[in-house]
Amino acid sequence: MEAPEWVDNAVDLGTTIMAVEFDGGVVMGADSRTTTGAYIANRVTNKITPIHEKIYCCRSGSAADTQAISDYVRYYLEMHTQELDDQPVVKTAASLFQLLCYNNKNNLMAGIIVAGWDKDKGGSVYNISLGGSMIKQPFAMSGSGSTYLYGHCDAQFKPGMTKEECVKFVQNALALAMFRDGSSGGVIRLCIIDKENVERRTIPGNQLPRFWEG
Amino acid sequence: MTSVGSGYDLSVSTYSPDGKIFQIEYASKAVENSGTVVAIRCKDGVVMGVEKILPSKMLCHGSNRRLHSIDLHIGIGIAGFLADARQLVNRARSEAKQYKSVYGQPIPIKVLAQRIASYNHVHTLYGSVRPFGCSITIAGIDSTGPQLFMIEPSGSCLGYYGTSMGKGKQAVKNELEKINFTEITAAEAVKTIAKIIYSVHDGDKDKDFELELSWITRESKIHQLVPKEIHDNAEAFAKQALEEANLI
Amino acid sequence: MENLNRGGFTFDLCKRNDLIEKTGLKMKGFLKTGTTIVGVVYKDGVVLGADTRATEGPIVADKNCEKIHYIADNIYCCGAGTAADTENTTNLISSKLKLHQLATGKQPRVITALTMLKQMLFKYQGHVSAALILGGVDVIGGVVTPSLFTIHPHGSTDQLPYVTMGSGSLAAMAIFEAFYKKDMTKLEAMTLVADAIKSGIFNDLGSGSNVDVTVISQEGVEIHRGYEKPNERKYRSNPYNFKKGTAPVLSTSTLEPLGSRIIIEDVTMEG
Repeated sequence: MEAPEWVDNAVDLGTTIMAVEFDGGVVMGADSRTTTGAYIANRVTNKITPIHEKIYCCRSGSAADTQAISDYVRYYLEMHTQELDDQPVVKTAASLFQLLCYNNKNNLMAGIIVAGWDKDKGGSVYNISLGGSMIKQPFAMSGSGSTYLYGHCDAQFKPGMTKEECVKFVQNALALAMFRDGSSGGVIRLCIIDKENVERRTIPGNQLPRFWEG
Repeated sequence: MTSVGSGYDLSVSTYSPDGKIFQIEYASKAVENSGTVVAIRCKDGVVMGVEKILPSKMLCHGSNRRLHSIDLHIGIGIAGFLADARQLVNRARSEAKQYKSVYGQPIPIKVLAQRIASYNHVHTLYGSVRPFGCSITIAGIDSTGPQLFMIEPSGSCLGYYGTSMGKGKQAVKNELEKINFTEITAAEAVKTIAKIIYSVHDGDKDKDFELELSWITRESKIHQLVPKEIHDNAEAFAKQALEEANLI
Repeated sequence: MENLNRGGFTFDLCKRNDLIEKTGLKMKGFLKTGTTIVGVVYKDGVVLGADTRATEGPIVADKNCEKIHYIADNIYCCGAGTAADTENTTNLISSKLKLHQLATGKQPRVITALTMLKQMLFKYQGHVSAALILGGVDVIGGVVTPSLFTIHPHGSTDQLPYVTMGSGSLAAMAIFEAFYKKDMTKLEAMTLVADAIKSGIFNDLGSGSNVDVTVISQEGVEIHRGYEKPNERKYRSNPYNFKKGTAPVLSTSTLEPLGSRIIIEDVTMEG
């Protein structure tokens, strides 16, 4: 007998996630939809996961895989911090993600954006793609919804934005993707990291930026 | 050597009644027979110098190197059994390589020093192994600036402004204490080290020696042998200073 | 074709189906491993709920099984999926957690159970079909806190104030989405949970029978086995008693009982 759908279908983060550098930090953003097949298993998911005090990651792909990878990286990075006796840099976290994603690429479904603040480089964003490559980018997008965004972001992004400009940029992009991509939606989760602090924001579904709706 | 014959000095896994591990102390003795190594941490870099005693006149110039590069930004100076020390150098190179491939960053000097120290230390724990008959100085520049560490056979690992290993250790330390480490530059330290090594060399007891000098500066950020011209100048300066001192 | 329109069974299609299956096409299964399990956080604790139907393919194997498993005195776990997997998974974690508790001398934490469960399920890459709802109370930062999680068979977890799982999860979630409130009283929460489970029982094929409810709070645990029994058999037909003489006597014969005796013989050795 065939197993029921909800047993066999891996929990997927059909997702829109992004992270953008601004003058002095990073803004990370994500939608909040988690699906199993056609069912929304969680409509208020937090896909922005802490890895260290000032390093976070946005997860897309299989929920189980990305949660497991994040747990491993959080553990390895904490061990590394003990040895280093200092705050780790974002690139180190990104390298650890890359190591796990590349070495286990045949068994994983994970697209991860690592971002954060460190005293070497300030705010920085790294994109770890499905195959395990690591690319440093001024802004990065991933997940199923990101396909709707490339043109918009290329047109709207400008380097050295202020914090609030950057937040607006991320909000707009995510809202656009969430309305066009069936497997993205819910609320917008934001995480703003700079030298001083880490700020988390949530924009409810009824307060999303609105665009042409035909 | 009161311990000889007591039986407590045969294994590294047994303490003597007064709390010593003689094999470690013997290993330190092996270091004390070695040609002197001097290292200075300056405000703009780190400089190391070695008095490499030549066991034979037929030896090729530059053989039996005692200053080694580990990564672009790290160098190691060795004293004691060269074969033992080269094992540590190999270990240091693989640690540096592994760190970079895992964390995507050059290894911090302190982390490397502590890892090598741990490697030394595990060789003081089991009866089946002997401690390394060598000490090393690790010099480099990382995100925290110029760094200098010395690691001994016991596994101790300490950071220094100036340090020395080998035969002339004590005499060198007297000289080093006169230096203002917050002001001295790498260029000055090269000459100072050359002078110190020439002054502590015991020409009556020992055969000829070759001066080895290496440095890493904030400007280059690369550990390398001191360029020939600067090396020759420093050596000439040292010889001249020695002659002047002898005349007085 | 001579047997057309003669009634009875024909097995022609079985052969055809076998042939089709050999070409690689998989026939659609027709029944789910059904369950409705739910959980809700209320003012000072957690309420877990479950139906009590266990199925084996198309057969209801157990009409009153237990799906709310003990993990620790302050932690319980609802299981959906393969019964053997949920039972053994929760037992294993319960045992590990007890050893951990003995070693640390502290009350086990929900997050510890969660981590153990998700690491185990991830290790088996979804082959252990256990979909779980983990609920309990513990102390976080000196404050007694209720917590509630779902764990999917592949090892992903979610933390939410109200959760449902199993084939009846859609029916149950519809009730939660309509009637959930923040900071409910215990009774409100239990009623909501029972309503959600009933929604599963009545609207989902795979769920049925009774409602089990377990309440976990700082005061302790209340286990309501059969909190509601919406499917009790009200009328039972009379036993089949036939009047004497219903079956005609065709013939009668009497058999003598066999006699029996014991023979004891001594055997002597010769020579």
